Amino acid sequence: MSGARSLAFNNQRSGWLIQAIFGTTFLVTAFLIITPLAALLHGSFQTGSPGMPTVFTWKNWADLGSGNIIHTLLITCFISVVTSVFSTIGGAGLTWLVYRSDFRFKRSLVAAVGLSFFFPGFILAMAWVILASPGGIFNDVLDELFGIEWLQFDIYSVGGIIWIQVLHIIPFAFFTLRGPMISMDSSLEEAGYISGANPWAVVRRITLPLMIFPLLSSLLLCFVLSVEQFAIPAMVGIPGHVNTLATELYLLTSFSPPNTGLAASVGLAMSAVTGLSILFQRQIIRRHNAPTVTGRGYRVRPMTLGPWRAVANGVCLFYVAMSFIIPALALIYTSGIKFFVANPFEAAWTWRNYLQIWDSPGTIRAFWNTLVVAGGGAVLGLTLGTLIAWFTHRLRPRGYRVLDALASLPFGIPGIVIGLGFLWSYVYLPIYGTLLVLVFCYVARFLPYATETVGAQVVQLDKALEEAAWVSGANRLASFRRIILPLLRPTLQSGYFLLFIAYFREIAAAALLYTASTQVLSISIWAFFENANWGVASALSIVATVITVTLMATVMRAPLKV
Amino acid sequence: MGISVKGLVKQYAGKPVVDHIDFEIADGELVSLLGPSGCGKTTTLRCIAGLETPESGRIAIDGEVVFDADSGVVVEPYHRNIGMVFQSYAIWPHMTVFENVAFPLRVRRMAAADIERRVGRALERVGLGAFHDRSSQQLSGGQQQRVAVARAIVHEPAVLLFDEPLSNLDARLRDQTRAEIRQLQRELRVSTIYVTHDQTEALSLSDRILVMHDGRIRQLGTPEAIYARPNDMFVAEVVGAANFFDVTVDDRGAATDTSGATFHTAFAPPGSGPARALIRPDKLLIGPDPGGDLGPNRLRGTVRQRLFMGGYYEYVVETRLASPRVLSSAEFAEKAQVVLSFDSGDCIFLLKE
Ligand SMILES: Nc1ncnc2c1ncn2[C@@H]1O[C@H](COP(=O)(O)OP(=O)(O)OP(=O)(O)O)[C@@H](O)[C@H]1O
Ligand SMILES: [Mg+2]
Repeated sequence: MSGARSLAFNNQRSGWLIQAIFGTTFLVTAFLIITPLAALLHGSFQTGSPGMPTVFTWKNWADLGSGNIIHTLLITCFISVVTSVFSTIGGAGLTWLVYRSDFRFKRSLVAAVGLSFFFPGFILAMAWVILASPGGIFNDVLDELFGIEWLQFDIYSVGGIIWIQVLHIIPFAFFTLRGPMISMDSSLEEAGYISGANPWAVVRRITLPLMIFPLLSSLLLCFVLSVEQFAIPAMVGIPGHVNTLATELYLLTSFSPPNTGLAASVGLAMSAVTGLSILFQRQIIRRHNAPTVTGRGYRVRPMTLGPWRAVANGVCLFYVAMSFIIPALALIYTSGIKFFVANPFEAAWTWRNYLQIWDSPGTIRAFWNTLVVAGGGAVLGLTLGTLIAWFTHRLRPRGYRVLDALASLPFGIPGIVIGLGFLWSYVYLPIYGTLLVLVFCYVARFLPYATETVGAQVVQLDKALEEAAWVSGANRLASFRRIILPLLRPTLQSGYFLLFIAYFREIAAAALLYTASTQVLSISIWAFFENANWGVASALSIVATVITVTLMATVMRAPLKV
Repeated sequence: MGISVKGLVKQYAGKPVVDHIDFEIADGELVSLLGPSGCGKTTTLRCIAGLETPESGRIAIDGEVVFDADSGVVVEPYHRNIGMVFQSYAIWPHMTVFENVAFPLRVRRMAAADIERRVGRALERVGLGAFHDRSSQQLSGGQQQRVAVARAIVHEPAVLLFDEPLSNLDARLRDQTRAEIRQLQRELRVSTIYVTHDQTEALSLSDRILVMHDGRIRQLGTPEAIYARPNDMFVAEVVGAANFFDVTVDDRGAATDTSGATFHTAFAPPGSGPARALIRPDKLLIGPDPGGDLGPNRLRGTVRQRLFMGGYYEYVVETRLASPRVLSSAEFAEKAQVVLSFDSGDCIFLLKE
């Protein structure tokens, strides 16, 4: 360690430069993360809204104990616990089918799960409103075609929120569990078969106990995702008068009379819940790693499903249909008709909704804004993330731990809370009302995505590759540029698109920060939808989804491979 | 009884990895599968265990058919009465040593008292009597290996399967454990298949050795037979060090090399024409050169290299056409003129490959 450090900083010229880069990285990160938090803290002690005359008060913190907020907190916890349990069970089931059984459609299933992973939550929610709201397709079909009146779907409910969230979060659980599942030494399970245990006993007594910590970690992550989920409760909760902390915070801020101070204290309280969960999850991951493959002899013997094959096929088909196919069909249908009717034979078909996208200057501007924020912002986010990963995993100059802690902080802070922080920072920052505030906010919010993606690869890179470059006479900067950067390129590419897509579909932070001139696509879609203009909202969603999916299919192939 | 394998074929992506293998293993016999890396040893073993499903063939364990491609019989691994020691040992980290070994009995729903007794006996057998409650995470490689063996024998399986069980141990422990496995197997009298690519292990442990190459059997026989009378050059080289001499075999079964030296063998030659004579280093006798005409089974040469190996010397002797290795306790200086001689019973002609 100290040897590596002296090599870095003995060389006068590059040592100085690296120090300067580290200093800049540190300051930028600190600025991006601390600004919104400090602003929130400040705001939570103010009576007025950002920019308004205001005085110091304790009231916002006292109001956290009010019946309304406590009720919302309980609802949020209930929704999130149920969501995380079902998502983890679903994700674990799919992982097991793909990596441990002789399920026939593994590739298609992984591809479908990947698709729904990238299917934006707010579009999914919208589709489900079209499908299962009281006047939606399902109820109409049940009622008019089959005359069934006793069965009524109401998506505007706690159950509706949970249903959409589970559909939305299962892919996440799948992708967090598949790593540990793939790397688990399968001879541990084979030794169980050889000992005479049947598949069910092997799952119960060997696979599950060995996977317990990855499962627990997935449970916590899904819980956090669900607590910070904004789009789904906003679209189906607000109309049904079911509020979660995230939507409560939004309502407090966006409707008069605004109570931005209480929103700030709610946001901080929310961050405490999610932050603690993340800390706990990190602790688990650090302490207990599942036993992994030890060298040679690694093979997986797929478990024969036998008569259960049909059940497995059915469940998977159901999941894929519910999370992607049927919502997508509903959107396509709605985007192609003049007035909403459930029966396609009574519908008046039209291109009007698509044409309207091009006729609306606001929407065109939203396209450009999104392109600037997502396309350009992702460059900034990735650059910062790469520098941080490099400093925290490799160079480790003084202060790298602080940098690491700062950069992983947003993991525990919901998007809407960071958005609110930047809203409050209006007090000190002259960027409110520009696209820059969105870029700053997104870079901060998704910084851990970048540092984790790049960091995982940096850890894998054999240090000797770089050392060989030093020995050959290249200094640190030269070896970084000539050896490391080319080796990191695939990771950087997928990191870029991960960020691009995250920025592209972010709605929670944008909902608080946009102005007429800085509207982005996700907000436009939501606005059309809120104005009961389902047709245009669907058309715009489809265009946006096609763009996202095309990007993902062309460049993000890697994470979709079995 | 024992194990019977007929016409076994296993393919990966259409490429046969095990290619029509037939063999029988008698009750209580230990047979090693020996061959270079990638020749299909592990695959064969896993087919017998039921961890892979072959494309065709028939496998019977203890007289019971556990796989038959023709009649569609596939017995799941957990219904085959087998014990297996994995190369990685596969000790379950979430169970104690006792629970690891007890597992095969627990899934057979044996009474608690019986389990206690039999696990105790199995652990005694492998020399881990005091390790009952030890967490399986706190074991050395050698101890893990013993737990794996105890777990494989605790339910008294009909066959034992080992996949390179010693390859993760250091050299000294390997020698000791090899002897212990041999003794254990003799005591239990259980049919055993032992996969290895270490010739010493195969030669010292086995009742018979099965030499594999590219998914096929090259030779199956006792260690002595395989060592002394390999079927072909591949087998000769897999088992022990080998000296080869290029010769031409005449109609009467005698051979000459181009320098005029003659080789006689006690075994039937594979036919006339170009061949190679195989003589093991320990079967070549080295002596001072008496001068004059030498007669058959004698070669003149010069000592090129002498290595003192402890109880004996290893020489490299340069003859006119080859430089064989020779083991002998007699002492000769480098550059000394010597004569190498051998018995007809220690010389065998193999076809050139
Ligand atoms: N799951 C698999 N898919 C494709 N090919 C495989 C698979 N498993 C094994 N093979 C191939 O089958 C051949 C035989 O493998 P096997 O493991 O049986 O060899 P082995 O004799 O045990 O070798 P080693 O001594 O290295 O363990 C190898 O060429 C290997 O690459
Ligand atoms: Mg092998």
